[in-house]
Amino acid sequence: MIRRKRFLIGGIVILLAVAYLGYRGFEGSATYYLTVSEVKEQGGRIAGENVRVNGRVAPSSVDWDAENNILRFVLVDEEKGLSVLYKGIVPDAFKADSNVVVEGGLESDGVFHADAILTRCPSKYAPEE
Amino acid sequence: MADIGYISLLLALGASLYSALAFVIGVRKRYPELVASARNSLLCVGGLVSLAALALVYALLTHDFQIESVAYYTSRDLPLIYTLSAFWAGNAGSLLFWAWLLSLFAAIVAMQNRGRNRELLPYAGSIMMATEAFFLILMIFLTNPFQKLLSTPAEGSGLNPLLENVGMIFHPPALLAGYVGLTVPFAFAMAALLSGRLGDDWMRSIRRWALLAWLLLGLGNLLGAQWAYVELGWGGYWSWDPVENAGLMPWLVATAFLHSAVIQRRRGMLKVWNMVLIMLAFNLSIFGTFLTRSGILSSVHTFSESAMGPFFLGFMGVVLLGSLILIYYHRQQLKSENELDSFVSRESAFLLNNLLLVGITFAILVGTIFPAISEAVRGVKIAVGTPFFNKVTGPVFLALILLMGICPLIGWRRARMNDLIRSFIYPLGTATIVGVVLFLGGIREWYALVAFSLCSFVISAILFDWFRGVRARHRVRSDNYLKAFLGLLWGNKPRYGGYIVHIAILLIATGVVGSSFYKMEKEVALAPGEAMTIKNYTLIYEGKTEKVTPSKLVTTATLSVFNGVEFIGTMTPEKYFHRSYQQPVTEVALRSTLLEDLYVVLGGWTADGTTTFKVLVNPLVSWIWMGGGFLFLGGLIAFWPDKRERR
Repeated sequence: MIRRKRFLIGGIVILLAVAYLGYRGFEGSATYYLTVSEVKEQGGRIAGENVRVNGRVAPSSVDWDAENNILRFVLVDEEKGLSVLYKGIVPDAFKADSNVVVEGGLESDGVFHADAILTRCPSKYAPEE
Repeated sequence: MADIGYISLLLALGASLYSALAFVIGVRKRYPELVASARNSLLCVGGLVSLAALALVYALLTHDFQIESVAYYTSRDLPLIYTLSAFWAGNAGSLLFWAWLLSLFAAIVAMQNRGRNRELLPYAGSIMMATEAFFLILMIFLTNPFQKLLSTPAEGSGLNPLLENVGMIFHPPALLAGYVGLTVPFAFAMAALLSGRLGDDWMRSIRRWALLAWLLLGLGNLLGAQWAYVELGWGGYWSWDPVENAGLMPWLVATAFLHSAVIQRRRGMLKVWNMVLIMLAFNLSIFGTFLTRSGILSSVHTFSESAMGPFFLGFMGVVLLGSLILIYYHRQQLKSENELDSFVSRESAFLLNNLLLVGITFAILVGTIFPAISEAVRGVKIAVGTPFFNKVTGPVFLALILLMGICPLIGWRRARMNDLIRSFIYPLGTATIVGVVLFLGGIREWYALVAFSLCSFVISAILFDWFRGVRARHRVRSDNYLKAFLGLLWGNKPRYGGYIVHIAILLIATGVVGSSFYKMEKEVALAPGEAMTIKNYTLIYEGKTEKVTPSKLVTTATLSVFNGVEFIGTMTPEKYFHRSYQQPVTEVALRSTLLEDLYVVLGGWTADGTTTFKVLVNPLVSWIWMGGGFLFLGGLIAFWPDKRERR
C-alpha cells in the first residue's frame, strides 16, 4: 500500500511539473485572438500588447515595396478596417481578398505593425473561390 | 456513375447498421447464425464501400466535372497520379477514404479471426460497424462525395499547386490510414469489456494493428513535416499548427500504448490504464479527422460553425462516456496481477514514459483548443503560439530520451545497484565526453548540450545492450559475429525493431535540436551580380529567367554558391504562377548535406531587377529524414511475424 502511495505521489509530481512548464510557456506566448472590429473598439486598451487579428485582405489595398520588403494593406471584416504594416518576405498564401491572421501590436498611430503573417496548412478542404 | 456511388453508400449504411445490431444480439442471445449473418453483412459493407470508392475513382479518371469533388480538385491537365490523389483532397472524399479503409480493415479482421476469438469478434465487429455507420451517415446527409453541381463546368478548378508534390501523395493517406488503424484496437478493447473476456486475448489480437497504426501515423507526420519544409518556404518543418497537432497527438498516445502493452503482457499490470489509453488514442484520431477536415480552428469563430461539429463531438462523447462506464463496471476484473516492485526497475521506467507522453499530449491538446476554451470561459479568444509548445514539450522530450537510454540498462522488477553501475558506466562516460567536446567546440546553449549528451548516452546504452546480446549469442552458438547479430535481431523482432526505432528517434531529436538552435537566417535584396554571405557560404545572384508552360508561368532565379572561394554549385529558387490558381507557389532551392541545409527562397522583385531572397542555413535537418527511414525500418521489423508470438 505504501508503495502505491509513493508511486501515486510520483505521478502527481510529474504532472505538476508538466503543468508548471505549461504555465511558464503560456505566459510567454498567450495572445488575444481578435477580429478587426474588436481591435478597432479596444483601441488604446490593447496598444503595445501582442495580439493576433483575423480578417480579410481588402482587395486593391495591397501595397508592396519590394526594395525595402515593406507590405502595407488593409485588413477588414464585415464592419471595420485596419491598416497593417509588415516587414519581411510575404508568404505565398497572402493575397488580396484572402483570409489571413496577423500577429503583432497596434501602434499609437493607429497602424497595426505585424511581426508575422500566419500561414496555416493550406485549406485544401475548402476550395478558395 | 455518381448515382451508383451514392446508392452503394446508402446500402452500406443499411448493411453496417444491421451488422452492428446482429453481432450484438447474436452473441448475447447465442444465435450463431445471426452472428454469421452479421459477419457476412460486414463483408458486404466492405464490398459496397469499395464500389463507392471505385465510383469516385472512375469519376476522377473520366473528368466527370458534374461531380463537385472532381470539379473542385482536378483539371484535365493534371498528371494521373495527382488526379487520383484528389480522392482525399476534399472533405467528402477524405471521409469516403476513411470509410473505405475501415470497411477493408474490418473485413481483414473478420477473415483473420475465422474460428478464433468467438466471443470477442462479434463485439469488435459491432463497434467497427457502428463507427462505419457514423462515417456513412456524415457522407449521406452532410457532405456527399457524389454531390452534383447544378451545371457542369467545362474545366475543373485544379488541384492546389502546393499539393503537387510527391510527398503529398502519401502524407494524407498515411495519416488517415493511421487514424483508421486505431479503430481496430479500440474495437477489441471494448469487445473485451463487453464480453467480459479480459484476459490477454484482446491484446494479443491487436498488437500488430496498433503497431501498424502507430507506424503510419509516424510516417504520415514526418512526410507532412518534410512537405512543409520543402513547399511552404518559411524555412521550418513544424509550426504547432492545429492540423499538425491533430496528427501528432494520437501518435504520442499510441506510442505510450505500445510501451504499456509490454508491461501488461509481462506482468499483468496497467490493465485499466491500457483501456483508457486505447480509448484516448481512438478519440484523438476522430478528433484529428475532424480538426483537419473542418478548419474550425483557423478562423476566429466558434466550433458550432461547422455543421459536422456537433456530430463529431457527439460521437467522441459517446466513445468517452461509454468506455469509462464499461471500464468502471469491470474494474474488479481489471485489477493488476502484480505490484510495482521498485522505483528502480524497467516497469517503472515504462510507466514514467507513459506519464510523460500522456502529459505532453494533454499539454498539446490544451494549447491547440485553447481559443475555444478561453472563449467559452472568458468570452475572449486567446491563442498560444510556438513558444508555448516548445517550452512545454522540449524538456519533457528530453526526459523521454533519457528514459530511452535507461530502459535497456535496467532490469525488470528490481534492478541491483552493482548491475546498474556496471551497465551505466560506458554510456555515461560517452555522454560526458561528448558533452565536454561539444562545449569546447563552442556549443553553449545548455539545452543543446544536454540534448546531444543525452542522445549519445542513449545510443551507447542501446549499442552496449545490443552488443552484449550479440556477444552472448556468439559464445553460446559459436556463430560469427555477423550471424549472431542477424540471428539475435531476427529472433526477437519486436525488441530489436524497437531499438532501431529508438535510434530513429535519436536521429530525429538530434536534427530537431540542431536546426532549432543553430539555424541562421538572412533576408537580402540583390541586384544581378551582387553577392551575399551567410556563414561560410557566398551566394552571387546571376539573374532571373522566365518560362511559360501550358499551366503556369515559371520565374527562376539563379545563384552561384561558393564555400569560401570554392565553387560548389548553382541554386535555382523559383516561383510558379499558375493559370488556374491565384496564389504564387514557391519552389525552394535546397542544398542538403549531412551537416546542414542551405535553403534559398525567392521573395519578390521590382521592375529594375532588384530581387529579395531569404537565405537560411539549417543544421542537421537531413538527420530528421534519415531518422524517418530508420523509423520505417524498425517499425517494419517489429511488425514482421515473430515465432515468439503465440498464435
